[in-house]
Amino acid sequence: MKQILFAGIIGVWATGAMAHSPLEATTPANEATVSEMPSEVLMDFKGDIRLTRVAITHADTDSMDMDLGDQTSFMQEFALPMHDMGKGAYVVEWRGLGVDGHPMTGIFKFDVE
Amino acid sequence: MPDALGLAAIVTKFALYLGVMAAVGVVLATFLFRLDRTRLVAATFAILGLGATILGFSLSGANLTGDIGGMIDPEMLGLLWMTPVGSAFVLRIVGLCLLITGLFFGRIGQWISVLGGCIAIWSFGHIGHVSDLEDWRLDIALMLHLLAVALWIGILIPLKRLASSPQTHLMAAHVGHRFGVVASFTVPVLIIVGGYMGYQLVGSWPALLQAGYGQVLIIKVLLVGALLGLAVVNKLRFIPALRSGDPDAAVHLCRSISIEWLIIFAVLGVTAVLTTQLTLPT
Repeated sequence: MKQILFAGIIGVWATGAMAHSPLEATTPANEATVSEMPSEVLMDFKGDIRLTRVAITHADTDSMDMDLGDQTSFMQEFALPMHDMGKGAYVVEWRGLGVDGHPMTGIFKFDVE
Repeated sequence: MPDALGLAAIVTKFALYLGVMAAVGVVLATFLFRLDRTRLVAATFAILGLGATILGFSLSGANLTGDIGGMIDPEMLGLLWMTPVGSAFVLRIVGLCLLITGLFFGRIGQWISVLGGCIAIWSFGHIGHVSDLEDWRLDIALMLHLLAVALWIGILIPLKRLASSPQTHLMAAHVGHRFGVVASFTVPVLIIVGGYMGYQLVGSWPALLQAGYGQVLIIKVLLVGALLGLAVVNKLRFIPALRSGDPDAAVHLCRSISIEWLIIFAVLGVTAVLTTQLTLPT
């Protein structure tokens, strides 16, 4: 039991060193403020990925899954249509699978004035 | 800090490493040093490895959807099946089942178990950071590294059991001595190929010191250094003392093995974090 606790403590401590994001860039950019709601969100990854879930949260509303439509192959760039939910803060949470089999996840935010 | 699914993935990876490495190690140690009564230990660890393999595959599905439903989502699991994750899954299941099967067939079965163990260990080269670099020398290095680690882990339970009973002190000294001879080859291999892989994966001193991956790798190397220190004390002090009939040496050896387990748990925990949460420095 002590061994497992020790391994757990070391492991949690080690997770303090954060991973790099596999995202190269997004449009709108992370933490950006835009004047009007974009018609789509662009996600540019460093390598090929198959997106498996993208959820968007506006202000304090419940998160809503975005339609991934026909995006069923491994690609580097994705353009996902957006619904206009008005002004305020948007949070996009994505999940996907790298071609090497690694599950990946990330988050980015932007504001609409 | 990882979310709940990320934490579950780390814990499952830890169980996978412990199960596979200890099962293969016990089988290798039994084969090399003609040990008795190791079947149950090997089978227990192999079953742990099998469970962690299945759970880990399923959890990868959950990581793709972000909810527990992904664990049985046919689309997500089918998607994973088509990637190297699926190949590694098959190799682990086949390898560990062969290992368990071999436990029931005497001396010939030991060959089957060793073959199964090698297949299970080979699976680790199919996914993860080493396979990302697509270099066959790294695949060989990882295989040698893991076999050396497995043997190290695998000797601990049988050796401690032998050292715990006065009737088998001499046997413990004999096995410990023979392991020390083998380890004088396998441990340098472990260090050299570990250093080679570390250099290939991290790439530079600044990346080692500044990137999260490099920093966690340093933690792992420090822990392995402590493990090496204990192994040296065992080889140079406790095993020779046990061979000369000093019963206190058996107590010291048992205590030293317990501390080795503690450090091995930490090393496996850190490795689970390295392989599930951190990306290589760019």
